[in-house]
Parts: sequence; structure tokens; C-alpha cells
Amino acid sequence: MPRIPLGAWVNSAVDWLLANVTWLFDFFKAVFTGAYDGVNAVLQAPEPLLLAGIFAVIAFWLRGTVAGVLTFVGFAFIDSLELWGDSMVTLSLVIVATVIALVIAVPVGIWAARSDRVSAFVRPVLDFMQTLPAMIYLIPAILFFGTGSAPGIVATLIFALAPGVRMTELGIRQVDKDLVEAAEAFGTTPRNTLLRVQLPLALPTVMAGVNQVIMLGLSMAAIAGMVGTGGLGGAVIEAIGQLNVGLGAESGLAIVILAIYLDRMTSALGTQVSPLGRRAAAKARVAQGGLKIWSYRPRPQVAVIGVVVLALVAGGMGIFGGAAGGTDTTADGKDVGKGEKISIGYIPWDEGVASTFLWKEVLEQRGFEVEATQFDAGPLYTALAQGNIDFQTDSWLPTTHAEYWKKYGDRLEDLGTWYEETSLELAVPAYMEDVDSLEDLKGKAAAFGGEITGIESSAGMMGLLKDKVMPEYGLDEEYKVVDSSTPAMLAELKRAYSKQEPVVVTLWSPHWAYSDYDLKKLKDPKGTWGEGDGVHSLARKDFTADHPTVGKWLKDFSMTEEELTSLEAEINKAGKGKQQEAVRAWLKDNPDVVDKLAPVRSSGSGDAPAEAKRPLDVAWFPWEEDVAITYLWKNVLERRGYTLNLKQMDVGPVYTGLATGDLDLNFDAWLPHSQKNFYEPNKDKLTDLGTWYEPVSLEVSVPSYVKGVKSLEDLKGKADLFDGRIVGIEPGTGQMDLLKNKVLPAYGLDGEYKVVDGSSPAMLAELKRAYAKKEPIAVTLWSPHWSYSEYELTKLKDPEGAWGESNTIHTIASKKFPEQYPELTKWIKGFTMSEDELGTLEKEIKDRGQGKEEAAVAAWLEEHPDVVGRMTPQ
Amino acid sequence: MSTRLEAEHLYKVFGRRPDQAVERLRQNEADREELRAQGTTAAVIDASFTVEPGEIFVVMGLSGSGKSTLLRMLNGLSEPTAGQVRFDGQDLTALSDRELREVRSRKISMVFQHFALFPHRSVRENAAYGLEVQGVPRAERERRADEALALCGLAGWEHSWPDELSGGMQQRVGLARALATDADLLLMDESFSALDPLIRRDMQDQLVELQKKLKKTIVFITHDLNEAMRLGDRIAVMRDGRIVQIGTAQDILIRPANDYVASFTQDVDRSRVLTAGAVMEREVRGDEADCTCETATAQTPFTDLCAMSARAAHPVAVIDGGGEVIGVVPRQRLVGFLGDEEGAPGTCDSSRGEGGKVLARA
Repeated sequence: MPRIPLGAWVNSAVDWLLANVTWLFDFFKAVFTGAYDGVNAVLQAPEPLLLAGIFAVIAFWLRGTVAGVLTFVGFAFIDSLELWGDSMVTLSLVIVATVIALVIAVPVGIWAARSDRVSAFVRPVLDFMQTLPAMIYLIPAILFFGTGSAPGIVATLIFALAPGVRMTELGIRQVDKDLVEAAEAFGTTPRNTLLRVQLPLALPTVMAGVNQVIMLGLSMAAIAGMVGTGGLGGAVIEAIGQLNVGLGAESGLAIVILAIYLDRMTSALGTQVSPLGRRAAAKARVAQGGLKIWSYRPRPQVAVIGVVVLALVAGGMGIFGGAAGGTDTTADGKDVGKGEKISIGYIPWDEGVASTFLWKEVLEQRGFEVEATQFDAGPLYTALAQGNIDFQTDSWLPTTHAEYWKKYGDRLEDLGTWYEETSLELAVPAYMEDVDSLEDLKGKAAAFGGEITGIESSAGMMGLLKDKVMPEYGLDEEYKVVDSSTPAMLAELKRAYSKQEPVVVTLWSPHWAYSDYDLKKLKDPKGTWGEGDGVHSLARKDFTADHPTVGKWLKDFSMTEEELTSLEAEINKAGKGKQQEAVRAWLKDNPDVVDKLAPVRSSGSGDAPAEAKRPLDVAWFPWEEDVAITYLWKNVLERRGYTLNLKQMDVGPVYTGLATGDLDLNFDAWLPHSQKNFYEPNKDKLTDLGTWYEPVSLEVSVPSYVKGVKSLEDLKGKADLFDGRIVGIEPGTGQMDLLKNKVLPAYGLDGEYKVVDGSSPAMLAELKRAYAKKEPIAVTLWSPHWSYSEYELTKLKDPEGAWGESNTIHTIASKKFPEQYPELTKWIKGFTMSEDELGTLEKEIKDRGQGKEEAAVAAWLEEHPDVVGRMTPQ
Repeated sequence: MSTRLEAEHLYKVFGRRPDQAVERLRQNEADREELRAQGTTAAVIDASFTVEPGEIFVVMGLSGSGKSTLLRMLNGLSEPTAGQVRFDGQDLTALSDRELREVRSRKISMVFQHFALFPHRSVRENAAYGLEVQGVPRAERERRADEALALCGLAGWEHSWPDELSGGMQQRVGLARALATDADLLLMDESFSALDPLIRRDMQDQLVELQKKLKKTIVFITHDLNEAMRLGDRIAVMRDGRIVQIGTAQDILIRPANDYVASFTQDVDRSRVLTAGAVMEREVRGDEADCTCETATAQTPFTDLCAMSARAAHPVAVIDGGGEVIGVVPRQRLVGFLGDEEGAPGTCDSSRGEGGKVLARA
């Protein structure tokens, strides 16, 4: 078979269109964008809840009370998800696309209905439009219309057109032939037959088509997020890109709410608009009867008045709302910029976004007015060369952006690199122990399933990997590179990582994945990946002359991989539109960065101790005494101006975190015995801030109404009484192991009693239940514990010493803690708590329930006014 | 120019090369079956007839006989393959679409088998439809629609919707719609076939009543010979696209053109169709009416004639408007017509053969 060069033909057709018919595309683009901007401006202007009210009134009018109420709730829900703006963007897009689709679809449908020849031509075209994968016309749409709303509208249009045409044709064709003949028999003109007989009777079907157009448009609008249309689709794409299932679910749900609303409204409109529908609805109402309030619908006049009033209010609020806002937060003395305007351009790559918004925040703190605009690489260089923007921070030189540099270099200023360590690589999780370099991959194909998870097959690094890296190491026979996409690669990494499965992925540095997961970059001893680029900051010509200070700052700018990846991860977490918030959050953790990036002479001073500036990372275990002490310290230290970030963690990670300095404090170290396994290996990298509670003990306890059981020995022969059970806690905890392996055998109880695995809450619930019914029960417990203040319990004595030596509770901190927090170190070392204090505090917290810990601590402190002074003596 | 409607050698052929098919039919080179085998359907073949003003002209035939196609050629909904339709002397086949629409909207209206009411219009709007097409102002068209509805016995239902009415009432709306335009010619396509028998009778009676008042020219299509004979001044019987006989009800009943028509007439209730004029013996002496006994006219229905005959001692005399005797009806003849037996009575061997005379003498 000869090869038919269809692809080449399409390419040249596209090229020809691009060269010769741009005026047409520009015209369409102007129409689409204009319509979209208009609708969007109207929808974005009013207060969300007012617009939700307008939607609700429309629903009230079209469908009745329930629909009205649900509509308001639904849209209020969208607003509370902070997706209002995105939702309105999507809604505008769908509205514009639907209107344009109908303007095309209805006439074509009519034409097809009247001519079999047209119908025979139109049908395959519609099939073609509907089944051609969206990406195939989405991408050319960008070629013709650029990014933004226009290609989104075009893609939506193409996809959603088909049902409009089909349903219109069907609706007209299924109108009773007799009626058409009757109309003709009375001398009706073809035009009037269409307008007075066919269309009115086809209207329900046509409206069903309209409904379908909207639904398909909405689903397409999500995909159109890929071409920068924004809105909920953009949010979905972004969520997928970041593997942020939560954000994805939120924006997905918002789409669903929009879809249901539009669906119900258009179908209701269908019955309202068509005379037949009105007849049917009227009959149904008569037949139904029943409670009127739910199906009550205001008359159109009332609805229109409602909408108009709300719209006027909304309009008014919009005007006044627009006037307010815009506060200035720059501190005096640091106001270097004095309101000067600086514009930054960026490519939506992770490091570009991160560094750009970092600089935006830093420069704003220094009194500049900063505008950050997103560009594609090409346009970014063009804009910079033309002086439309001041600088950008994401130029990969000398290799990746060589073309642009060659073209525009003489009109740009290179402000130097701020990040040297860019690289392309294959990465494996750190738990893949014997794989450190590309060479190690050889012969291990079986472990990895013979697959290397790649990214978009179009990416440059994929070509490099397949054509150079793999052959050099002889991996091309053994491994298959799986083309997918960056999000899919990250999803695969996440999945494998969580299951500790072997996986090898293509990755590059800097990337947030390195900070989220513990990954190893595979070494490349043969240097096949080539030299990495440096990330440069580029400015327009004369920028440093115009802004010498900022120019100097940018020239001195540099970031470490850790800083950059953690910032990227933070931005990634915060999600779209919250980049700057994320930067602020990150700056809180890295308070010195602002001064490092943009040094100014004066330094601020507050009433808090200097050390309080840096927030403390405090890890806590979900154990009663630790909750109590941690929240107590949080309350007290916040009075002294400290900031505490509380992180709930498992024992192992806490010790590791403290040892590496990622964490600052933990108040619940049971030493020297219980947590010995964790403490010993890290001893040198930790600081022991001493005991605040002693003694602590592990025990088996019984309610005091169980007479004659005072010690573990007394349990012997009483298995019947306790049903042969000792209620335990989480299996695998030190206490449970000790109980099963040492304590019970020591007293010869292991044959008689079974230790019931469960959990602390289950054990406590069981205790509460038994206590209330005065039933005998033996539970695994420890001191301090609030249940000793709540119930009258007997700690069973341990004459054999099987539970071992008593622990005391220590506070442990990172190695550097004493020098970082001299004041705090003193305070913590000097504090102790009595059993009564701890017991009552735990009980207070327990009584108030989860989530009310801070209130409980505050209440407890009211009753123990001396404690604050004892903890933090001034 | 007394003829209202005139059809001349109408042909309608569906399928490929219709003109050629018509030519072969004309030359008797092919019949309908042969054409069908070639994929061409000859729906109407060489139909010619005239309809006089004020006449109800019924086209009767089984389904597939081409009667509906014939009807649609009369108002131009279907264009004849060959032949002419002249309405008030105007050749409809020569008119442009626009002119044809004009004729249809003002001069010819139509009532359909399945009513074909517009479900999205109220009863009044349906009745006013034709006027709306004519461009009559709203107030006037509503007044005229209401009049037409009242004429059809639907006063008070103007604001109802078609789907709220029974079949009979819906067809009255259909009739009112056709009458409202004041068209001269009413085409009725099996208009009562979809109705229950009792309601059908009502409608037929009502149509006859209306016709007495309005004197429209009506072409009525039916497959029911009883209906045809009740309504039709003249009847055209169609078979396989051809008109096989045109005549009055009694013509068809008494003198069927062929066995096909005769087989139809067997089921007809003769007593309802026949009149004295059709059954009388025309050989008269002239003095049959000289007694004081009851006499009949040519229009006296068969049932009345039977009653007279039962009361009279001798055959009933039939006289015309001027009192001249035009015929007599012996009892024997009445019984013969009822049984479709027109021969003379035979003889009987037994004495019971005298019974007739005894009875006659009584």
C-alpha cells in the first residue's frame, strides 16, 4: 500500500489557513472573546450570594419552591468552596458557546429536516465532530485563536453542536405529517408552516437538544481548561496536575452543581416555552393536587420583578464594592519602591511560578507595585525584548532557551543564574536500596515490570531518554518507556510510593516531588543527560539603570534546591490563584528570606522575645497526656508571642524529625524505657529538656467495685469473673507487647486470660460501659490518665516488677533548640505538672470533645491561674 | 359555466419515469401490476369526472384504490402526472405555487381522516386557522370561527383544547375549520372513518343538514358504501386506480357496472337507498291513481313505500309533480328489490301457491 500523506496535507492546509485566512479567525476570535467578556463581566460583577439569589428566583419561577431553595443552597455551596469566580467563568463560557451553537445548530437542523440530501451530508459531519478526540481540534484551535476563552468556546462549540442539529432535525421530522398536510391544505406558505406548525410542535424536542448542548458544553468546558480557558475546567486540570484529589473533587462538584442547575432550568424552560409543554404541565398540575407550596410557582411578572430588583441591588453593590479595597500593608522604612510599578512575566512552570510570586511578594513588601503576567516561552521573550515587561526569572540557559537568546539576546539583560542545579534524571524512591545509578537498573527490569514511567512523549527529555540515555546504558532492550503525561507519571509515583512498590520515573530538578517524597536521582556516570542549564533571570534593556536596587537584588538572587522545592510544594498545595498566599505561608517558615533577597538596613523589633519570631514546629502524639501538655504550652506560649505549628505524628517520624531539625519540640517522650528504641539511635542529635511529669507507669486496672483484686496475682483463678479477657489497646504498642510477652507469663495468667486487641478509645468505651453497669472488667491502662479522675479504679500492683521500671515524661527537642530558644529552653526545663493537674486537664479536654482542645485548656487555666506564671516566669 | 370542478384524464404515477408509465397506460401496453413489478406505482389512472355546484360527490373505494391521491390532486397538494383539474374553469395544474396556495386558502378547504387538529392551538384558534392564513384580522376571524363552531354544534367549547375533546367533537372542529373560510369546495378525506359507528351516523346526518343550509360543493372520500349512499348525490366507485362507475346511489345499486361493484352493493341496506322512482314499473295504463288511495312520488323512500303498499289493496301508484302517473309499484316488486331478485315470481304446485292472492285480497 502506498503511504497516503494525509498528515502532511492537513499540516499544509493548516499552514495555508494560518497564512491566508487569519483575518477570518481574528474576526471570530473578536466575536467569541467579546461575547465571552461581556457575559463574564456581568456574571462576575455582583455579590455571589445576590447572583445566587437571582438564580434561585429563576428556579423558583421555572420549577417551584424546592428548586429555588436548592438552587440557592447549591450556589452558596460553590461560593463557600471559593470556586465562585471559576464557576462564573465556566458558566459564561457555556452560555456563550451554547448561544453560538444554537444560532448554528437550529437553522442547520431545520435545513436538514427539510432536505434529505442535506440531512445525509450533515449526519456524518456531526458524527465526525462528536467523535474526533477533543485534543485533535483543541490544539489547532490554539493555533488559530491563541489561548484563552476563544479556543475553549470553539472546542465546546464543535463538540456541543451535534445534539442541537440532531434534535432540531428529529423534532421537525417527527411532527405529524397530517398536520403539515393540513397546514398546506389551507394554503400556508412553507415558511409559516415551519414557524407556526413545525417549530412550535418540535419545540420540546428542540429544547431537549438545547439541554444536551449545554450539558455537553459543560463537560467540554472542563477539557477546555487545558487551553487556558480557566474556570472550573482550569481548576480541574490544575488539580489533576498536582494530584490534588481534594481540589479536583471540589471543582468537579461545582461543575456538577452547575450542570444540574442548567439541566433542570433548560428542561423547565422547555415546558414553559412550548405551548404543548405548558398544556402538559397544566394537566399534570391539575392531576397532582396535593401540597401546593412545594410546587408553587410565582407568575412570570413576579419572577421578572424579583430578578430585576436583585440585579439592580447586585449592580449597585458591584459599583460600590469595586470602589473599596486595595489596602497598603507595607511597613515604613522598608518602603524602597514607593509605589513604583514593576511587571514580571512568567512561564507556568513550577520554578517560574514559585520564583515569580516569591519576588512579587518580596517586592510588594518593599513597597513596589508588582504585576505578574503569565506567558508562553516565545511571547515572554518577545514581550521582554519589546520592553513590555521588566523582568522574568525562568530562563533556562545556555541550552533550552538558546533559540530565544540568539534571537533576542542583544535586547535583554542577563541578571545571572539564581539556580544552578537543574537537571534531568530518572528517579526511584529511596526505599529502592540497591539502585543508585543508571547502571544499577541493568538486569533489574523484572523488579520494575520492565517499565520506566515517562511523561508526555513530546517532551525533549523523553527523546533524550529513548535515543541517548537508554542505549548508552544498554537499557533499551530491557525497559520500555511508557509515554503518558506529567500528572499521570506523578500519580503513578504516588501510587507506587504509598505501596512501597518499585518504580522508576523520569523526573527533573527542581521539582516538588523531591520534597514531597523521599526520592533518589539515579546517577549518570556517563553524563548522557548532558549538562544542566542554569536558571537565569533576564530583564529588559536598561532595567538595572531604571531600578538599580532591584537589579542588584536580582543579581544576588539565589535559591537552594530545598528552598525552591519546598516553595513549589507549598504553591502546589495552595492551588490555583493562591500562589501569593502560598508564598506568604512559605515565608512564615523561612522568615529570613525576605531580608536575604531584598536587604534593607533597618530591622524591626517587637515586644515578643527575638526567638519567638520563628514558629515552633511541635509534634504530638494522639495520646491524652500529650494532647493536654501540647495545647497547654501552645496556649501559654502564644500569650508570650510565640507561634506554634502543631503536627500530629507517629513516634518514629517524630524522633527522626527532631534529629534532622525539621521539628523543634515534642513534649511526650517516655524515657528511659518505653521509647528507648527511638531515643537511643538519635541521642546525639537530640536535646533532652528534662522531665515534666513523674512517675508514669503502665498497668492493668480494674474498677474499685471489683473486690478482692488488688494485684496482678489476684487475677489468677478469676478468669470467669472477667470473662477471661483483659481489654487491651492498639496491638503492637510497647505496652501490649509487654503485657502479652512478659507481664501475663510472669503471673501465669497467659493461659487463663486473652488480651483483646483494640484501640485506646475502644478500651475506654468498654471501660465506661462496664463501669456504668458495675460489671467486672480488667483494662490495660497507664498513668497519667484522665480515667483515674473520672472513675474509681484500682491499679493492680506488680510485685514481680514485670512492667519494668517506671518511665518519666520528658520533653525532647532538636539539637539546636537551646541556642535557638534560650528563653524557652529555660522555661521548659523548669516546668513540672502534678498528677492531679494533668488528670483534670485531660478530663477537661476529653469532656469538651475533639476540636475544642484550645477552649478546654483556656477553661482549665482559668481554674489554675498560677500555671501560666509557673511555665513562663517573666 | 355550471360545472364547479372538472377532472380530465387524471393520472398519478409514483416512481421512476412517470411520464413514460402514463404513456404505456394510455396505450394499454402495460397494466398496473406490470408497472408495480417494475417499481412504479400508478395510483390514479385516467380519472375523469365533473362535480356540479351544491353537489356531494362521493368517491368510494377500498384502501389502495387511489381515492386519497385523487382527492389531493383536486386541491393541488399532489400534482397530477398527466391530465387537468379545472376549478371554476381555472386549470389548477397550470397555477404557480403561490397562486395555488391562494386558491387553497380561499376557495378549497379540507377535512381529514384523523382530524389533523393543531395540538398547540385552542379549539377557536384551530377553527380560525384558515382565516389566519388568509390574513383576516383577529377580531373578525375569531367571530367567524365562533360562528363556524356554533354551526357544528360546538358553541361554548371555543377555549378548550383539542386533546380535551372526544373524537366526534374533534372532527366537528375539523369541519368548523373547513367551513370557517367560506370556501366553495370542501374536500373530505374519509372524514368520518375514524369515528365510532353511532357518532359516524350523527356526523353524517349533521353533514346532510348543514349541506341543506350551506349548499357547498363537497367531494367526499369513503370506503364505506353505506356512507357513500347516505351522503352522495353521485358516487364514483374506484378500483385499482381507475374509476369503474359513476352514478347515483340507485344507479349503482340497481345497475352495477360490473361484478366488482355488484359485490359491494350486496351488503348495502337497500331499503334505505331505494326510492319509488327506482323500483316502480314504468308500464302504466294511466288510471292507476284514479282511486282515492295513497300515492307515492318518485322520491318516496322504500320503507314508506312498503308501509303504503301494506295499507293499499292494489299496487301503489307513483305520480310526478303534475299528478301524472309515472309508474306503479306492485307488492311483488318491493319484495324482489329487497332480496335483489327482479325476475317474475315462479309457480307453485300446491294450493298454497294461492296464498298470495288470499293475502292480497285481505
